[in-house]
Amino acid sequence: MLLDTNSLKPIYVQIAEWLEMEILNGNIASDEKIYSQYQLADMFNVNPATAAKGLNILAGEKLLYKKRGLGMFVSCHARAAIRSKRIERNLKQLVLELVAEAKRLDVGRDDLINMLIAAELQVTEEEGSQ
Amino acid sequence: MNVVDCSGLTKTFGRTTAVKNLSFTLAPNKITGLIGRNGAGKTTLLKLIAGYLLPNAGSIQVFSENPFNNIKVSANMIFVDENMVLPASMNLGEILESAGRFYAHWDHKLAVGLFTYFNLHPGQYHSKLSKGMRSAFNVILGLAAHCPLTIFDEPTIGMDAAVRKDFYRALLKDFMQCPRTVILSSHLLNEINDILDDLLLIKDGEKCLHMPIDELKEYAVGLQGKEETIAKMAEKAEVLHRKKLGKDSVYIAVRNQFAEEELHKARLEGVAISPVAADDLCMYLTARNKGGIDDVFDRN
Repeated sequence: MLLDTNSLKPIYVQIAEWLEMEILNGNIASDEKIYSQYQLADMFNVNPATAAKGLNILAGEKLLYKKRGLGMFVSCHARAAIRSKRIERNLKQLVLELVAEAKRLDVGRDDLINMLIAAELQVTEEEGSQ
Repeated sequence: MNVVDCSGLTKTFGRTTAVKNLSFTLAPNKITGLIGRNGAGKTTLLKLIAGYLLPNAGSIQVFSENPFNNIKVSANMIFVDENMVLPASMNLGEILESAGRFYAHWDHKLAVGLFTYFNLHPGQYHSKLSKGMRSAFNVILGLAAHCPLTIFDEPTIGMDAAVRKDFYRALLKDFMQCPRTVILSSHLLNEINDILDDLLLIKDGEKCLHMPIDELKEYAVGLQGKEETIAKMAEKAEVLHRKKLGKDSVYIAVRNQFAEEELHKARLEGVAISPVAADDLCMYLTARNKGGIDDVFDRN
């Protein structure tokens, strides 16, 4: 993944979100060791302090735990916690913006729901073709 | 313990004051970017830190000692700029071979690796190199010396984009293996942004901003929209830059003192919110006058 330098989000938040995605899609399982700050710094070409800040966000939310001298590991409840956090923060926000845009364009509720169903079909098809 | 500690540092040349009442400290093992416009006093400040110049007023401590004419500072510091003085009678290979005798932590393997990577040849002479190649050789010395205080004064002059990118990555990788205090002055903040810990911005010899680079990203925000909506928002924050776009639309860069809800509300009102790139922000903060280049042309 590449960092989006045009985003409003600070680099360390982007790194934290990327790590969340890795946990969410199962690339890093529970109780598995997560990347070190130096691995992240090397991968994203950023200062190691920035990478550490990204890890610390997750550690602060107890999604990671430290083993002395061994590094940071994924907590067992991390995946579920990330999922509910994303629904609460991202998905609801996206829906809110979706509804606002529909209102601006004068798109009715039924049309909007039809568009959602069509989009869902499209996503399922794309997943099937991969 | 701080590696560099300045307080009230002032340096004048005749009637011009290059560095004015500058106070800051640099903690060990961090990469600090020194940014400023042409003539802001970057090089003078770096030379004061290196002990090449004596300040007119104020104090400077490097490794807790006065750096001027100081053997401890000289032995633990390397200053890389485009005017590095190297023996004219020695070719590049010979310079690399003998550099280890001057720097206690010299990493010869790294030096040779970078030397080959950047397509330099041992038989070449420093004075005969192209501008970009000479800069490349200078930064190899700067990196391989592994000095506790490494100063790069605009090290990428003349380098093409690919070589600059390689240098930044080499600096980051080597820094992680061998953490040390690095000061990097450059005009190209966007290129070095991500590898920095801290940013020190100076304007007319004075400190303008000194903060962790992560905080800089949240320091300002760009708002674009209808003039009246923007004007309302501008009342609540410090405006750093303003630009008229089209008939009734305007773009402003402001200090980001808005709550998340306020920005969200503005977005729903049709205001486009964008980040302010670090180098744009520095440009706005160090602008000498209101307006800009457009005013020169709009006068008549």
